Amino acid sequence: MAQVQITFQETTASGLPAQVIGFTGQLDETNVDEEAKKIYAAIDGMKEPRLVFDFSGLDYMNSKSIGYLTDWYSRVMSKNGKMVIASPKPNILDILKVVGITQIISVCASLEEAKGELGKTAVK
Amino acid sequence: MNEPSTLPSSDLGHLAQESVLTKTEQVNRDGSVKISIILPTNAYFMSGVRDFTKTIVMNMTGFSEQWAYRFQSVVDELTNNAIEFGSAPGQYITVTFLSQRGKSIEVFVEDTGTGVSHKTAAEMTAMISERRQADPAKMMGIRGRGLAQIVSHWTDRLEFKDNPMGGLIVHVVKNLETGETV
Repeated sequence: MAQVQITFQETTASGLPAQVIGFTGQLDETNVDEEAKKIYAAIDGMKEPRLVFDFSGLDYMNSKSIGYLTDWYSRVMSKNGKMVIASPKPNILDILKVVGITQIISVCASLEEAKGELGKTAVK
Repeated sequence: MNEPSTLPSSDLGHLAQESVLTKTEQVNRDGSVKISIILPTNAYFMSGVRDFTKTIVMNMTGFSEQWAYRFQSVVDELTNNAIEFGSAPGQYITVTFLSQRGKSIEVFVEDTGTGVSHKTAAEMTAMISERRQADPAKMMGIRGRGLAQIVSHWTDRLEFKDNPMGGLIVHVVKNLETGETV
């Protein structure tokens, strides 16, 4: 069974409250449905969610977890928020590109770059 | 005449649970290697299958590490579909790798056709054809990306066949092209 650890760290982006959601391990059919609930709870708990998904520790994600990623993005945008992906490993970035995620969600090479992207006022 | 291979156990990844998994391997006269794994209809084994896939691709085909990771995704998506839709709990699925070093890798995933949402080869072919036409950047649903996007983009051939014994056989082929090698 795949193992994943998801952490939530409060931070700021251009002086505004934000959260860094860190992923370590693998997301697949055995755990993604249960783990996704934590992200939905985090989004629902923020008035205008500003989220960085730190994928530096994520080793694998399946197509359903990508589907959840798009749904989280939709929820964030519906609340006038913003969501950025930071530091995906090459294989993860490869998956995100092939399914077109990089065309709708900003992907940054580092956590600092992602925080900077969150702080921008322009809507992507 | 096929000769049985003698792959060292370390090359077989994490699949050491002989009580629930069955694996066979053979080396053919043309140098191609065929490895079949029969596993229960349970996603519990998927991380092991992914590790095994990466090991095979990196050590037996000549494909680059990038393609080893890509095939992890391809096999994971195919196997998961077979587990979720093709074979009922308590049944099994069969994953077969056929590799020719420096040339290609093929994967066959077979289910028993006992799943609640089992589809025929014709139905699967039509579904994939329809999904391939969708703009991936506009797909916002949670499901539907595995075959149409990941598997289709990262293989040269994706085909479905009805097993005369019952169930579906999904067959993918990826040929080794220049720039895709180690």
